[in-house]
Amino acid sequence: MLKIRNGRDFVGGVAMIVVSLLFIWFGRELDVGNSFQMGPGYFPRMLSLLLISIGVLIILQSLVVASEAEPDETANWKAYALVILAPIVFGLALSRLGLAPTMFLMIVAVSFASKYAGWRHSVALALFMAICSVVLFTRLLSLPVSAFGPWIPFLGN
Amino acid sequence: MDIFSDLWLGAATAFHPVNLAYGFIGCLLGTAIGVLPGLGPTATIAMLLPITFGLQPESALIMLAGIFYGAQYGGSTTAVLINLPGESSSVVTAIDGYQMARRGRAGAALATAALGSFFAGTVATVLLAVAAPPLAAVALKFGPAEYFSLMVLGLVASVALASGSLLKAFAMIVFGLLLGAIGTDVESGTPRYVFDIPQLYDGLNFVAVSMGIFGLCEILRNLENEHERSVGVRKVTGLMLTRDDFRRIRGPVLRGTALGSLLGVLPGGGAMLSSFAAYALEKRVSPNRAEFGKGAIEGVAAPEAANNAGAQTSFIPMLTLGIPGNPVMALMVGAMIIQGITPGPNVISEEPALFWGMIVSMWSGNLMLVILNLPLIGLWLRMLTIPYHLLFPAIIGFCCIGAYSINNSVFDVFIMAGFSVVGFALFKLRFEPAPLLLGFILGPMLEENLRRAMLISQGDPTIFVRSPLSLSLLAVAVLVLGLVLAPSINRKRDEAFTE
Repeated sequence: MLKIRNGRDFVGGVAMIVVSLLFIWFGRELDVGNSFQMGPGYFPRMLSLLLISIGVLIILQSLVVASEAEPDETANWKAYALVILAPIVFGLALSRLGLAPTMFLMIVAVSFASKYAGWRHSVALALFMAICSVVLFTRLLSLPVSAFGPWIPFLGN
Repeated sequence: MDIFSDLWLGAATAFHPVNLAYGFIGCLLGTAIGVLPGLGPTATIAMLLPITFGLQPESALIMLAGIFYGAQYGGSTTAVLINLPGESSSVVTAIDGYQMARRGRAGAALATAALGSFFAGTVATVLLAVAAPPLAAVALKFGPAEYFSLMVLGLVASVALASGSLLKAFAMIVFGLLLGAIGTDVESGTPRYVFDIPQLYDGLNFVAVSMGIFGLCEILRNLENEHERSVGVRKVTGLMLTRDDFRRIRGPVLRGTALGSLLGVLPGGGAMLSSFAAYALEKRVSPNRAEFGKGAIEGVAAPEAANNAGAQTSFIPMLTLGIPGNPVMALMVGAMIIQGITPGPNVISEEPALFWGMIVSMWSGNLMLVILNLPLIGLWLRMLTIPYHLLFPAIIGFCCIGAYSINNSVFDVFIMAGFSVVGFALFKLRFEPAPLLLGFILGPMLEENLRRAMLISQGDPTIFVRSPLSLSLLAVAVLVLGLVLAPSINRKRDEAFTE
């Protein structure tokens, strides 16, 4: 009887196969060439096939070897969403709002990923980070970002 | 050319006031961030890398090396004081170090760690200076086939010595190699997997990738089961070691240094393996073995000496062959490439000031750590008490600016966010991220050498076994693989049978 004894590894094996299929699909127009004169597609194709076979082996192993008992993990979806979205919001807002407001807003928002967060601490930390980053990065290291962007009236440029 | 004139040249570079200052800043920053909870050396270096972009290559690498051993030292401090190892290489330090701290001997434990590390660092630096030039001379004779085999050996060994499932580690290497293929193909100029995104033509940026996988991903993991830490030790006193302490740590430090220097050279070995092995060895041979686990000073001295020696000698394959043995070295390779230096056997002859400067700076950096950290222990203790919910937003903020500053483009910030998701998914599926980064860094080099070798042999794959050097490298790789596979196959078979 075939039974999945290690669900995590089973999913892991499937994930590796999906990754390799994606690389094969998106590289389908690359010239593979031959082993003498390898085209740009040769190495990725070879690796994808290798990864598929490793994925199959991981799946086979997950059918035979049981997983070790592990403590339960509680998913914290609010934290995941905030931490992953924070850099994306940062990237989108940077050129429009400028470094100081972007940093301030991002820190306030992302700090609520923690269950210990409070408004006073978050705002204080965000102000501190905004001032530090402006001084360090626009003044001392002169990155090409302005402290205040075009969307900020009066201050922005 | 003898070693003294080389070291003299190195000293001139390392003790140049500017470089000395950057080394100092590196040590200080590295320790400060290493002391903070939830940030290991890999994440620390990835986060601080962009600061060094504007520096001279020598200063940048000296500073990064300083950050590396500073972070390592900071990790031991947290291991002793709050039983929370900042990184994997100080896990064993926590066992006896924390017990010493609970008995009021935190100062002695920290002083032992500092002095043991300094001694080990000195020995390993000398070893590096002696061993590197001949190794590089051998490597200069390498052709594409030998390089290919060497990299295969490096990748295999890094998997073999890593913890966890072998198959899954291999999957991570191949995944990393595939990610390395993204970007313009060097030989033909054909864009691969770029989806018409101009920023992808140069490939994924490894700093952004590693900040996502190591920096942000660690935050996600920490937030999952968040709890406030309590610092048991409020004040550290008694930094001076007694005569009896010195007598007891002499042997362990020597043995730890020897073991660490050897294991550090191995790919995938480095600091972690060294410290575990040294602790295990000391537990066998020490006359005070009954005290182990209850605050034996030997249990701090040996692993701390070993992990520092290992950290130092792990520079040998990176500096002489251009092959990183662990993620930290992979980041160093990346930093060198950004500075326009191709890591490999040519570095010694082409950039002697850089090479020898770095070696001498390792010694001066270790000296700085001893001088700095013992008096500053009060400051580190204060930093330990910063609650995590105030720390992680700041880390995210610095990662965002850091990623942006790589190319002054927000694209790398998005890549970082994307790879935090990838890294977290891999963590959930219990895949180790370290081999992925190694594969990613080595991928383009591996492909280039494979293609060149096959072009030379006109498509005949036996070129890899016809050259004696390449053959022996591959043989070692097979041997390493066989050694690791044998017991694990047996064990798994047993498990299957008992089901």
